[in-house]
This record gives sequence, structure tokens and C-alpha cells, in this order.
Amino acid sequence: MKKKIGVYVCHCGGNISDYVDIEKVKDAVRDEADVFLVKNTLFACADSSQKMMEEDIKTQGLDAMVVASCSPKLHLNTFRGVAQRAGLNPYNYVQVNIREQDSWAHSDNPAGATEKAIQLVKAGIARAKESEALTSMKIATTNAVAVIGAGVGGMRTALGLADMGTEVYLIEKSFFVGGRTAQWGSVAPTNDRGDVLTAGLFNEIQKRSNIKLFTGAELIEKTGSVGNFDIKVKIHPRGFDGTATADDIQKAVKACPVSTTDEFNFGLTQRTAILTPQKGQYPQQPAIDKALCNQCGACQKINSAFQPASTNEEILTLHIGGFVANTGFDPYEPAKGEYGYGEIDNVITLPQLKRLIELNDNELVFKGKKVKKIAYIYCVGSRQDDDEGKNKYCSRYCCTSATHTGVTVKNKYKDILNYHFNRGIRTYGKAELIYGQASQQGDVFLQFTLDSIPQVERKHNKTYVKVKDILTAGKTIETDADLVVLVTGMVPRENVKLGHLLKIPEGRDHFFNEIHMKLKPVETVIDGVMIAGTSQAPKNILETLNSSMAAAAKVNSVLTKGELSLEPTLAKVNPGACTWCGKCAEACPFDAIVQVDNEGKMVAKVNESNCKGCGMCTPVCPTDAIDLDGFTNAQIGAMIDALAEL
Amino acid sequence: MTDNQNAAATCLDETQFDVMVIGAGIAGAESALKLGDMGYKVLLVEKEPSIGGKMILLSKVFPTLDCAACITTPKVSETARHPNITIHTLTEVDTIQRNADRHFSVQLTKKPRYVVEKDCTGCQECENVCPVITKDQFQFDLTARKAVYIPFNIANPRIALIDIENCMLCGACEKACPSNCIDFTQKEQQLQITAKSVIVATGFKLFDPISIERYGYGRYKNVITSMQMERELAPTRPYNNVLRPSDGKIPDKIAYVFCTGSRDHTVGNPICSQVCCMYSTKQAQLLMGALPMADISLYYINIRAFGKGYNEFYLQAKDMGANYVKGKIGKITEKENGNLILRFEDILTGKVTEKEHDMVVLSVGLLANPAITQVFKGEKLELDPINYIQQPNMLQSPAQTSLEGVFVAGTATGPMDIPDTIMSAGAAATETSSYLKRLS
Repeated sequence: MKKKIGVYVCHCGGNISDYVDIEKVKDAVRDEADVFLVKNTLFACADSSQKMMEEDIKTQGLDAMVVASCSPKLHLNTFRGVAQRAGLNPYNYVQVNIREQDSWAHSDNPAGATEKAIQLVKAGIARAKESEALTSMKIATTNAVAVIGAGVGGMRTALGLADMGTEVYLIEKSFFVGGRTAQWGSVAPTNDRGDVLTAGLFNEIQKRSNIKLFTGAELIEKTGSVGNFDIKVKIHPRGFDGTATADDIQKAVKACPVSTTDEFNFGLTQRTAILTPQKGQYPQQPAIDKALCNQCGACQKINSAFQPASTNEEILTLHIGGFVANTGFDPYEPAKGEYGYGEIDNVITLPQLKRLIELNDNELVFKGKKVKKIAYIYCVGSRQDDDEGKNKYCSRYCCTSATHTGVTVKNKYKDILNYHFNRGIRTYGKAELIYGQASQQGDVFLQFTLDSIPQVERKHNKTYVKVKDILTAGKTIETDADLVVLVTGMVPRENVKLGHLLKIPEGRDHFFNEIHMKLKPVETVIDGVMIAGTSQAPKNILETLNSSMAAAAKVNSVLTKGELSLEPTLAKVNPGACTWCGKCAEACPFDAIVQVDNEGKMVAKVNESNCKGCGMCTPVCPTDAIDLDGFTNAQIGAMIDALAEL
Repeated sequence: MTDNQNAAATCLDETQFDVMVIGAGIAGAESALKLGDMGYKVLLVEKEPSIGGKMILLSKVFPTLDCAACITTPKVSETARHPNITIHTLTEVDTIQRNADRHFSVQLTKKPRYVVEKDCTGCQECENVCPVITKDQFQFDLTARKAVYIPFNIANPRIALIDIENCMLCGACEKACPSNCIDFTQKEQQLQITAKSVIVATGFKLFDPISIERYGYGRYKNVITSMQMERELAPTRPYNNVLRPSDGKIPDKIAYVFCTGSRDHTVGNPICSQVCCMYSTKQAQLLMGALPMADISLYYINIRAFGKGYNEFYLQAKDMGANYVKGKIGKITEKENGNLILRFEDILTGKVTEKEHDMVVLSVGLLANPAITQVFKGEKLELDPINYIQQPNMLQSPAQTSLEGVFVAGTATGPMDIPDTIMSAGAAATETSSYLKRLS
């Protein structure tokens, strides 16, 4: 039992003190048994407050400490650190949340909030009284990381990690690296070519002996925890052994009887069952699309390097310390009939236009017709403000990409007229200069609201776009267009399986969610699992690279030391009281409880490296033989007693 | 490691670092922390008396409405206590010169605080007795401070300094100080250090709207900047309420003028500042909470709510009753009662319109802060056409600059919000660590 407890009640600027009467809380707990001192702080987390607490612990000889402030998610470790530095065991510290769970929740009822704060602080004091010193266990960690996805982001994460001395397994689901960026020609804001960027990254990866790249590969199993994960990676057979000449490859592609739409060109062209790498995709080796191949053997007859019948899947077992998920995005696919998409044949998407520009060198031609007038309709699949369950978010990159594409087509081809039907151009930051460039070259910008979206119509053998333009005080303006381009947003890649396997939470927008946008922007609630790039939210290439390298910095800083401290809040069994009914083992989600022989009696035992301290086992034990350090039955009981005392 | 500990440390090691980070705002602190965690020896140089940059002075931050202090202070105090990070506040970089061994020789000037850092307890007895009253730059001139002062409540280090230009040398503080730490004999200190690499995290400058005469800032008392409103809304706010400066009245018709100093060729800043739409939207939400009866109108060109959760945040502000008006403010005139008339073209009607408000907030933009390029001797740190640090490999290695071994983080590369700044700082840490590995 602790006898000399220090209690600190935080104002949090006004976040708490605007609603909770701090002096009243102090007065109410001052005379609690074993409370030695009670103080208030403007910001308990400020360095000066931390120093004051350290001084108190040292000079007053406090044996436990309670800080009533914000959520332990924010500052539990801050104040454990204070305790540690002052020589008090960090587990003799208790945090009481009177902000998220009190002042913010009851801002309409200050008296009630104050009353609740008093109860919560009293419960915290009761818990501190029963607290015991605990010691963290150190485990050795592996400085190796699995990077999932080899687009620009994943490749940049891999390079960053490798150059900092971390072993990298770069795992790409498709048979080629390069991701979405390989599909773009000129990209904003630098006019670099997407395929040149991916080529550069791939070349660098080839030079690093500590990056192992797997294409046609997927993560299928994961066990363990931060610092020591064991994973299984399935490598699908490429169906090509790399020995054929370029000539033979071309012949084989010609010979293949299968035909389907080519997803690299977003359906503008057809391909066969032999996937051939495009500019910017690597390795520059074909692969056989197993799902499509009908095993006719035509390719194999041309060159035995093609092995359509090959089924030798390889399963690799790897030991790693952490993950970076860099799984990217898919372009939003408009519904049939959305602005005429799928019904009017010259309505395409922005990604399709980007490919069309790559496929047309001298003049822009679509379905045999020369294109002179292009109408862009913005925010397709984004900012669906009034529809529950749809994409309310802004896709961030599209305004810049569409205006940049407008500039690109005008520079590349003669006589192009661009009409931008937008909802307020969001060329933020330096991208404003691209908007300026588009305006100066004569592009026309028309603006609409969700209440009156543009109408796309086919009449007199032409496609027309009509809009009520708010920039001309609501005039209805109509133009014909050779091409209507739907500026589609980003949606997360279909990677439900990976999300489940790594247990990464999704946000309301269905992108992967970080812990905290500013404090922990690349970390997820699963220790050792980072997210980066557009798997997290729409981003442009620059932002993708920054977040990918930030994820590299974070995971490297965790693993480079070679060891990690584990939370000592673990379950423990009292073998005397245990009768081995097996209920705790059934309740444990981490397989941490095993049956052992203890002097002739079968009892439960906790495997400490598996135990996560979740507490699922303690309430199911019929004999109270299992307890959780840091959250003991005695502590929880004392807290309930304190809360029940009115 | 705090300045106090530095003062005590005299070993040679205190002059040799793996990396020097210039600027201890949130970008510099994040880069320093990541590199410190990786085991590198970091020197963090800050010209202001406190670390934490602009972020530590903000109220709440979008789109989560976390209080800025609550999420800055843990980073700041972690930085200050980190065993691998040495901090020099009130310190400016004079010169950086590359040696034959590729390391950088750096000349620093540490300005005197006139307070013995290791002895000051931050008790503020000196402030109580100081007879001088001058403008408080950390409250953006909304209130006054003394000539001897602690920069602000959550400053780090939280110790006093003397503003010698405004000090009358009366000696009152010296007599009042219980720990005898006032020392008027302190001189500028020249420090010579070497660093294997440099991170430029010098941030941005705020646009000063005094140059847009038609908005009347500096002449009309009730026209304030968004940074001033930020302070009025902060937990450590000067008036404990939102008041308009001319008469201390609680305003009930507040206008925001977007794009003040941004997207404006006439002031030489053609680009968008990337954060103003969102911080104004956040302030509107906070104002609607603080002053439930007030009308908040926001005059905008385009709303740039592009980041994760930002568009949703903008919609929330509209749902709460914020009145967004599409129209760029052309001119502001002041009435006798201090109210202001805003003239603009209402885009929705196409008509030139005038509206009266009792307080106007100018949503000021961000400008480049290129002075640091001057300190590089014998080689040139290149700028882009708008004076931000150039990123020659922007889409391959965004933290690289025109100089080998010199990297860049945060708003020194262009306007960006806090999450993007943190990411960019992480990228700079990766790039720097990679460079240091290659060097050794």
C-alpha cells in the first residue's frame, strides 16, 4: 500500500478548467487518506510542470503519483517518464482522464463535470494506493522490415530503410513494380515523367543488396509482435523463366489467342494473357496472367521460356521486426451513367486521358476522331457532400492534376480548347502557379455546386456539357466537347485481406487510419505496423514520398537499437489457487496461456512474450487465480469502491 | 538536453555533431527527435528564446481540434530532454563552411539572455517588479509584457530573459530575483562547432498585411490578423475572452478576409498558402463555440479543404452556421463606432455589395524565409522562384537541396500544414541518416 501520494490536477489551459472547478476538486481530495500533496498545473505536460513533479517526488519522497488531465493515450508515457526520471517506478503512476471523459463530454454541465472529476480522481487515488512497482522486460528485435506495395511510395520507403541499414523485403502483388506512377506521363508540378521516376527508383533498388524484391507476391500469414514478426509470403509463378529474346516475346504475345482490356491503359487498349511490362514497369520481363490463360500452349511453342502450366507457388518464411503498408489507391470508377460514363462513348476519366496522351504522339485522337475541345468535370467520386455513405472527402490531387493535364495537352497538341467544370479549384500551395498557367493559356473555368451539376447530353451527333455557372451569376452555359473527361478521385486499393491480416483500422473514408495525424502520423494502433502514401489518404507524389520516408524514419528508429522494452502489464497465475479449468486459455486471444504441471498439479501458466495484458482471462477465472499486473483485482476493486462512495 | 546542462558541459564532444538542425519549430524538433532516436548526435539551433516555433502559439488545430499546446508540449519537452539532442536557443547561425573532409564548420552567435540559465527557476518575481511595459511579440502585440520576461507560459526553456533594447537598467529585477541569476555583464558568445550534415528547418514568415493599405490594418483597430485571433482563442489567451481591440466589446459580427497576401501578384506572392482556408474554418468553429450569438462570415475565393478529414471539417463549419461568402474583399472602410464596411463582388449575384461587421480578421498567408541562404560560404543554397528552398529532386528525394549534406524540412520548402510538416521532417531524417551512413 502506498502512503505518500502526490496528486496533480491539470487546467489544460482552459480545456479542463473552463468546465471543471479545479479548486473544488483539489479541496475534495486533499484529505483522502495517504494523499500527501495536491497541486494544480496550467499544463501538466509542460516541461516546467514536469520538472516540478520530479522535484516533488525527489524532495518529498512521494511513493505514488496521480495526474488528472487528458487521455492516457496522449500523456501516459509522458508522466511515466517523469516518475522514472525522479526515481519512482513508472507503474506507481496513475493517469486520470478528466478531459476527454469529463470536461469535453460535459461542457454543458460544469457542476456535474466537477462532481465527476472528483469521483474519478478519488478512484485514481485508490488505484495508486494499490499500485505495485513493475519492471519492463527487454526483448531483442530484428532490424528487418516488410514493405508492402512497390509503387513510388513503397520503393522510396525501401530505399530509405536500406540506406539506413535496415534489411528490406519489398513485396509487390502484381508482377511489376511502379504502381500508379508508372502509368502517368508528365506529372505535376515538375513535369517529370512518371515512368522515368519509377525507372530511377527501380535502378536504385537493384543496387541495394539489402533489399529483396518479390513481385507476384502476397503476404498470407503473420504471427508475433513488434520487433519479431514471422511472416509467410506466397510467390505466384511468373510463367516465364527470363531466357526468351525480345523478338520471341513479341511473337508469343501475338500468338496468344486470349484478349481482354488492358488495365494499364485503363481499358483504352486490349492485351493478351501475356502481361508485358510497359515503360516504367519493372522487371522488364513478361508474366503470364494465370486467371486468364487457357493453357493453349501457343506461347510455349514459340519459346520454352514461357511456362503457362507452371504451378510451383513458392512460400517464403521471413522473420522481420516491422511493416510498412504502402498499398496505394485505385482511381474512382464512375458508375454507369454518371455524367454519361459508359453510355456516351466520348466520356472518359482523367486517368484514361493521361494514357491517351501517352498513346498519341502528334495529334490527340480518340476513337478515330481528332480531339479539339475537352470538357473536364471535376470532383467525380469526391466531395459527395450530401450523400450518406459516399466519398465525402476531397481527393486532393485531382484539381492540380487536371489543370496540369490541361496545360500538358495544350503544349503537346495544336488547337486544343480546355473547359474546366469545377467546384472551386483547389490547386493549393505552389500548384496555384499551374492554375495560373492554365488560365493564361486560355482555358475556360466554369464553376458549379452540387445542387446543379453539369448535364452531359448527346444530341445532333455531338456530346454537350451544360452547366449553371456561378462565376457568371448563374448563367446557363453550354458547350460541345470532343472528349468529356471525368476528373475522378482516389479510393483505397482493394486490400481487405491485408487490412485484416495486419489488423490496420480504417477511417470513415475507408483509407487506413493513423493513430494521430500530428503526433503519430505514420503509426497504426498495431505496434510495428506503419502506413504510408495513399493507403492513408489521397496524396500527390511529393506527399507520398514524404510520408513514405517518414515511415522509414519511424520504423528504423524503433528497430535500429536492437532491443525493445515490453509493457510489464502481464497476466500472472497463482498456482495454489488454480484448478485448471481451461477457461482462461479459451478466453485468451493471443494463445498466451498454456497448461503446465506444477508439482503434480495441472495449472495454467502465462507465456510472457505472447501476453499483451488485455485482461480477457481475469474475469473468467472461477477461483480468482489469475490476475493482471498493473490492473490487479485489488486495484479495480478499490476504484469501484471509491466511485461507489457518494 | 537543456541549455543549462550545455553550459556545464565543456568537453570537446560538445562541439562535434552528426547533424545541425537550424530552427526548432515543429519540423526541426521532429527531425531532431527522429535522428536522436536513431542514435545520432544532434545540435538544434533556435534564434528565438523558446523552442516550439509557431505551432506552440496556436489555439487548437484542424481538423481534430486538439489543443495545439497539448500536442506540441510533449514533442517539445521530449526534444529538450533527449540525451542525443543539444539545444541552443537565442542562437543564430553566422556562417557554414564545408571543410575538405566534407564536414561543415559552423560559426554560431549566442545572444545574451542577461539571466543565468541554470539558476533561473521561472518564478517571475523579476517580471512583477520590472517597470517597463512594451509590446508582447508572443501575443502578436495584443498585450504588453515587461522588459524582463518569460516568453510565454509554456515556453521551453521556461526561464526569463531581458529585452535589453527596452530595459532601463534600473536594477529592480536584480534586487527581486531570489536566485541571483540576473547578470547584466553577459556578452554575445561566439561558438564554433562542426557538423557532418545540416537540416534547414527555418519555417516561414507571416505575411504583414500593413502593405495592403485598402484593408486598413494598422489604421483600423478592429482589423486584426488571423494570428492575433489565434492568440485570442488560445488556452493561454490574453483577455480570457474574444474582444475587439478598439473598445473591448465582445464582437458579434466577425468577418474573415481570405487570401490576404496569398494568390496575389500585387504583393509578390502568387501562390496559395495552403493553410489559411482551414485555420480560418477552425477559428470560425471555435468562435461559434466561444460566442454562440455571433455571426461569422468568411469571404473567400475558393475553399481549399483538401487534406484528410478537411472537407468534412469545412462541411461541419457550414452546418454549425458559418456563413461562407464567395467574393474577394476589395476594400475596407471604418465607421466612427469602429465597425467596418467590407466592399466586394458577391459572386453568386454578380453584384458589388457592402456589408458591415464589427471585427475583421485578415487570413494572412505564409511567405518564404530565405535569409538562411546567406550563411553558406563558398557555395550556394539555391532557392526556387518564390524564394523557398529549392528541391532539385522534388519527386525523388524531396528533402535534398542543391548542396550535398544539406537537407530541408517543413515549410522552408513551401507552405504546408502541420501533418505535412511532420511527414516532411521525417523524410529529412531518413535522408540525413542515409547520407551519414554513406559518409562513414
